[in-house]
Amino acid sequence: MTDLIGSITVLIGAVFLFSAGLGMFRMPDAMSRIHAGTKATTLGNTLVLVGIAIYQPTWSLKLLVIIYFVLMTNPISSHALAHAAYTLRGRLVPSRAFGEDDARDQNDSQ
Amino acid sequence: MTISHAVLTTGLLLMLIGIWGILTQRNILRIIIGFALMGTGSHIVIVAVGYVANGTAPIIDDALPLSEAAARAVDPVPSALAVTAIVIGLAVTAVMLAFAIRLYGAKKTLSIDAFADSKW
Amino acid sequence: MMRRAAAAVLLLALGAIFATVALDFRERTALPPLAEAYVEMVPRELGAPNVITGILLSYRAFDTIGEVAVLFMVAAGIGLLLGPGRKPEDPALDESEPEPSTEIVRNGADIMVPLIALFAVYIVLHGHLGPGGGFQGGAVVASCVLLMLLARPDYRVRLAQLSVAESLAGVFIVLAGMAGLVFAGGFLDSRVLPLGEFGTLFSAGAIPVLSVLLGTKVGCELSVIIERFRA
Repeated sequence: MTDLIGSITVLIGAVFLFSAGLGMFRMPDAMSRIHAGTKATTLGNTLVLVGIAIYQPTWSLKLLVIIYFVLMTNPISSHALAHAAYTLRGRLVPSRAFGEDDARDQNDSQ
Repeated sequence: MTISHAVLTTGLLLMLIGIWGILTQRNILRIIIGFALMGTGSHIVIVAVGYVANGTAPIIDDALPLSEAAARAVDPVPSALAVTAIVIGLAVTAVMLAFAIRLYGAKKTLSIDAFADSKW
Repeated sequence: MMRRAAAAVLLLALGAIFATVALDFRERTALPPLAEAYVEMVPRELGAPNVITGILLSYRAFDTIGEVAVLFMVAAGIGLLLGPGRKPEDPALDESEPEPSTEIVRNGADIMVPLIALFAVYIVLHGHLGPGGGFQGGAVVASCVLLMLLARPDYRVRLAQLSVAESLAGVFIVLAGMAGLVFAGGFLDSRVLPLGEFGTLFSAGAIPVLSVLLGTKVGCELSVIIERFRA
């Protein structure tokens, strides 16, 4: 019985990881891709590890430490990526994510 | 359809996807990602070939005592080769990225169509 | 158009070859003779529980030295391609004053860097007891340096001292090999040091010493490569 629950949890985690990959592929902008990539992969990793913990209860302490590390490092790295993307775009290329649409709409309506 | 069948098929599929990426993409960074994918796929294939039915990792500890090591351990030689291969793959990716930086500095674009005239 | 057609034909042919490989594959039911000999010889003669590290650092140690030479050549090549004397290409990206990092990254790095360094030392030292060894630990050391570079933009990796440390580690690996030649069975034989008790930290002869030297060398090389990519 615990085998079944553990396997289903791992499968749901794999579905989340697949949706993260699909989101990174289909999203149009860098910020949206970072958004899809970090939230879904963190949850997918956590669910896979929780599923393994249900499957083998003797490993649960080590897996809890791994989940802690994943929760510590994944958001920090995505924050660093988003900060870098914002800074570089602010200096080099105007993008439609930062208010350029309003300027264009004003020019069109005149 | 056993575990090693699934792992072997995944590795071969990753190699095919990597080769597709190298052949069809025009952005230099995507070509480098294709090389990395092909390398990862080949590492998975190397390790999957060495699997023994119902085997476990070749490390002698509580889970695998010395007396039944020869009967239940997985082949250790492909795993050792895979360690070497991963390090070499990392080194090759680093050199390719350095080349990509210099190419971008020369032509200010990341598409390899800009270098088509330097093929001859 | 021709390029796409040629690529499609090549991919179909490769797919057919891979399919025949995958369909004709049958799992082994017993170890091949060489692997069985290794699995049985490494705990008995070398005293190392981890068979893979025992193979990599004693029976096939010459391949490991070759791989160390390849990493050294790559570090030298990247020093040539991205080294000093290169003009900054884009004036908008001129890094005369580096971009300050945000508070989240700085505080997160303050917590994570000691943990990552401790984990790297653990992987290198326990290479012969569990999964790990020189190469894996060296990569974790380089990731620690990368985190320091991200969190503190005015952190300068000392290239001169790292190069000296890396070269010294390489020299000591060859000296350990020659000690194996003089005092034990052959080049890089790890039985120059006593085998000790099976499964403890100070056992398996010279394998932990070789792991530490290898981890130092690989960590220094990868840190030098990362520092070159930064500037």
